[in-house]
Amino acid sequence: MADADILERLVAQVGWQIRRRRAEFYGLRGLFFGAIVGLVPLLLKGAAGPAAPLMALGVVLLGAAVGALRGLALPIPAADAARLADRAFALQDRVATALEWGSRPDRSPLVDLLVADVTARLQDLDGRGVVLRRWPREFRLLPIPAVLMVLLTLVPSIPFPAGRLPVFSSSDDTEPPEERGSKVLTDERPRVGKRELLQRAEIMERNLSARGGATGGSQPGDLAALFKDTALAAQRPDFQSFLKKGDERLRMLEQVDRLPDLKRDFTQSQYKMIFQRRKELFGGLRPDQISPQRLRELLEEMQRMGRKGGNWGGDIGEGMEALDSGQSDRAMEAMERALSKMRAMEERGRDGRGLRGGREDGRRGGRGGDRGGSGSDMDADFGEGEGLLPGKGRNPNPKGDATERLRANPFDAGVEGEARSGRKEGYDTNLLGKGTNVPSRLQYMGVFGQYRKMMEEAMAREQVPRDYQSQVKEYFESLEDRR
Amino acid sequence: MTNAERVQEFVEAFGSLKGEVGKIIVGYEEVVTDVLVGLFAGGHVLLEGVPGLGKTLLIKTLAAGLELSFSRIQFTPDLMPADIIGTNIILEDPEGRRHFQFQKGPIFGHILLADEVNRATPKTQSALLEGMQEGSATVSGISHPLPSPFFVLATQNPIEMEGTYPLPEAQLDRFLFKLRVTYPGLEELNEIIDRTTRARETEVRRVMTGPEVLRFRELVREVPIAAHVRELASLIVMATHPQWEHAPDVTRRFVRYGSSPRGAQALVLGGKVRALAQGRYNVSVEDLRAVTRAALRHRIILNFEGEAEGVDVDSLIGDVLEQAEAMSHRGKEVFLR
Repeated sequence: MADADILERLVAQVGWQIRRRRAEFYGLRGLFFGAIVGLVPLLLKGAAGPAAPLMALGVVLLGAAVGALRGLALPIPAADAARLADRAFALQDRVATALEWGSRPDRSPLVDLLVADVTARLQDLDGRGVVLRRWPREFRLLPIPAVLMVLLTLVPSIPFPAGRLPVFSSSDDTEPPEERGSKVLTDERPRVGKRELLQRAEIMERNLSARGGATGGSQPGDLAALFKDTALAAQRPDFQSFLKKGDERLRMLEQVDRLPDLKRDFTQSQYKMIFQRRKELFGGLRPDQISPQRLRELLEEMQRMGRKGGNWGGDIGEGMEALDSGQSDRAMEAMERALSKMRAMEERGRDGRGLRGGREDGRRGGRGGDRGGSGSDMDADFGEGEGLLPGKGRNPNPKGDATERLRANPFDAGVEGEARSGRKEGYDTNLLGKGTNVPSRLQYMGVFGQYRKMMEEAMAREQVPRDYQSQVKEYFESLEDRR
Repeated sequence: MTNAERVQEFVEAFGSLKGEVGKIIVGYEEVVTDVLVGLFAGGHVLLEGVPGLGKTLLIKTLAAGLELSFSRIQFTPDLMPADIIGTNIILEDPEGRRHFQFQKGPIFGHILLADEVNRATPKTQSALLEGMQEGSATVSGISHPLPSPFFVLATQNPIEMEGTYPLPEAQLDRFLFKLRVTYPGLEELNEIIDRTTRARETEVRRVMTGPEVLRFRELVREVPIAAHVRELASLIVMATHPQWEHAPDVTRRFVRYGSSPRGAQALVLGGKVRALAQGRYNVSVEDLRAVTRAALRHRIILNFEGEAEGVDVDSLIGDVLEQAEAMSHRGKEVFLR
């Protein structure tokens, strides 16, 4: 029992040391924050009067006291105190173990030995200085509010702002109220000298350094370089001239027809746009119910588009003539033809932009004639319904053309064998054919990651014998380097 | 005998057995200590090292220092489970009647040296599983108890992988420790030359009997462990699991499977033996640190990235240990860390 008392006494002693260190630590933190808050009464010294320094001091002391109290009040688990004692005296967790097991009913006979051992060791040790002092980070910053407090105490009080807006004009400057019947017009009213001065200063401020004008080279940050509208950029940013001449950009707003159509979806193709307008125009109406004016506008639009390389100009011309002669149905037919050509041209353009594989190459090569002639006119206008997708156009093959590889002669690659006689019979094999000449269409490096993952999984499942794993890894690493 | 005398007896026995082994084995003090820790903790030990470093000699010397039966099995690819466990043979009595009688295999010994254990097929390796875990061998549905204490010491060569069968994880997990036997230093090599090339060979005294070993094993289990030390053992093991939410980055990146609960048991039991061998009555954090690598290195399975990067499991365990210790302090106030 005496051993247990010694242990508990040690833990209590360590606990008290922790409390003391905590009180110091949190007290200093409280001092710092108190000093920060204590600056407020000093800043308001004018309003607070001569009691301000005392108030500041009070706040500082209060902060320190609250911090210290908090440090004293925080709980200390006995096990943690025992661990600290173990560490301080290099007791290899003896105190913590003895404290925990000493009171357990299921303790082994060795626990008594342990408690006795710990007690014997503790008797020779001085329990002081177990917990080291720690300085809070705020402590290093404490001189700043302290110096500020001293300065604010010494300097005269800062004038406290009044509760109303400042009056910038003296009573002499106030204008006498004008009579209603004054003949002086508002524009001609004489300005007050002070206000005029202010306005001038503003204009001069905006009148930055002299510009080189259009002849000067553009520098980074130069307005002329920033605004591509050189006519405006060359001008000085002079407010007076702006008012006089008017902004070119504002004038542009008056020309509504030249403004870009912001509603227009530029991601749509020309064909889609025209098709959409045609749909809006027709809207289930009969040809005689369609507005000739709107039909004409649509045809004109298509004509404008056709000027940039389109081949539907003739159809549009025909449609316009029909419209002039009042034959709306013919005009619509002409427009439909032009629309088909527009679509065909767009498809061709899309085809040209896309990536071509072996199938397209083959089609354009020896088998080009299969598609109804190889003439450029036919290619340029291959009509409605002729697409790249399988099942479209005149290609009878519903799944599209076969690849070159599949069309290759199946007998041009193979394996031949030859019996070998001797002490032990065998069979020599030899790979024949043009297998190597047929280019692989597999994106080798494209599937590299996939195969690497498969390899990793196979390794993880130990499907690859461990002796070969390093070789497989090296092979993949060499491929990785080649990438 | 008082408890203090029991502990004192253990300390002396541990020291004298270590001394006897040290008569033959030069250096490898840590390896010898860990082998003895494995013996008194009631586990089995796997020694890994290149040929010629004295792994087999160490085990034979240890066996010579104990009054226990010793069997040695040289594992080869054609070794069969029956060659280890034993088999039923037909015997004829004087009256001419025939009956089956179980012929015990070499596993029925106190100390079993499984030399180059990774050379046998997994089927044969697995013949040791039951014996190592449960202390019995079952043949034709009849379970035969193995002698007690039963202590398996296996050796394997890490570089000659041609024609070997790496031990399966289940088998590896049965070993309390995996010890790495490295090359001796210059002074140690000089001593080896001196000892092994002279005319008179050193003789090893028998310093411990089987019942004594069992008694010491019981004593070891009485050593108390503090809650925070036990928690550290759990944290270490949990930190080897990549799926654990607080697992360190190194584990998440390089580990496929972490340690089993047997790893935590090995840590604590190993720590208890070390503490008692030093005459201490409690397990400390230092004891856990000392046995962590030996207890966990064969229980951590690296993933492909870890293997490809050539990550050393020992250094990985070092990182895990550091992280686990930091975790045990996490959330504590500055004065209580």
